[in-house]
Amino acid sequence: MPAAPHLKPVEDTVPMVHGEVAIGEDLEFQRRWWRFERIVWIAFALIVLLDLLGVFGKGYFAKGHIHQGPVEVKFERVERLGTPSIMTIHFAPEAIHRGTVQLWVSESVVGDLGNRRIIPQPESSTVGNSGVSYIFPASGGRSSVLFALQPASPGVFRFALRVPGVNEIRSRVVVMP
Amino acid sequence: MATVLHAVFGYFFLLLTVRILTRRPGGQLTLFEFVIVFLIGGVIILSTVGKDRSLTNCVCAIITVGLLHQSVSWLRARYPRFGVIVDGTPLLVLDRGKWDTDLMKKMRLDENDVMAAARSKGLTSLTQIKYAVLERNGSISIIQAEASKSEA
Repeated sequence: MPAAPHLKPVEDTVPMVHGEVAIGEDLEFQRRWWRFERIVWIAFALIVLLDLLGVFGKGYFAKGHIHQGPVEVKFERVERLGTPSIMTIHFAPEAIHRGTVQLWVSESVVGDLGNRRIIPQPESSTVGNSGVSYIFPASGGRSSVLFALQPASPGVFRFALRVPGVNEIRSRVVVMP
Repeated sequence: MATVLHAVFGYFFLLLTVRILTRRPGGQLTLFEFVIVFLIGGVIILSTVGKDRSLTNCVCAIITVGLLHQSVSWLRARYPRFGVIVDGTPLLVLDRGKWDTDLMKKMRLDENDVMAAARSKGLTSLTQIKYAVLERNGSISIIQAEASKSEA
């Protein structure tokens, strides 16, 4: 035998207006909600403004630039998860010795920052000292090496670069989720 | 795991965004339902599944959104206060011949919207309306002056 349906008598639970129309209006809640909405819209506008300025990456404030003697590094201080970017390292002629440029990069460039490609291809690469050492053939004049990065996880990551005869270059990159 | 977290964030972020967009008159779906439409529409889904377009990942994302929707539905039914947060509250915009102009301004509603709703009820003048209510789903309910008098 099927169970009897559970029936509940109707009660006037919805608040009425002037005792004749059940509307259930909650004006006090609505006023609080309008205040909340205003705060959220201000926050949203702020987020858009900060994004336009590049605070969350891909903009003016995200550009990183370090000049250390004959080495100049251009990179994105703020990266985005899984989004490709380029770290460019310029070498002045003083950084070239016997037709080659030597560059050591910390492991974080390869691991945390997700180095996918190096342009041009290095002549040789050697692992050690918590990083990778590269040797690039150079013919003189200003030369550049590009690292194509694509971070695989969010966080704040420090990196370091070394070129013989130049102070170590250190900085950090924030990877947005 | 990232997919599930992204789906949870995406769901609640869209719920908030759509909720604060404010009801517009004539809406057919509740804001709550719009969230699902938006999610299926695929704005957040891009970051939800990311580059992993495997069946496993997509199934996990869909199940997560489905469970969230079910949970929010249950919470709405169980706790009326939660329902008010998610869907809003009905608002009386016309009360016995008087407009609540402050409320109408904030809800971006004008007299023409109310008159349009009145016309659909066969009314020809605003003076025939006793109460006009902006409902949670954005529609406008009209209670006719004559009808309520005759009932009284």
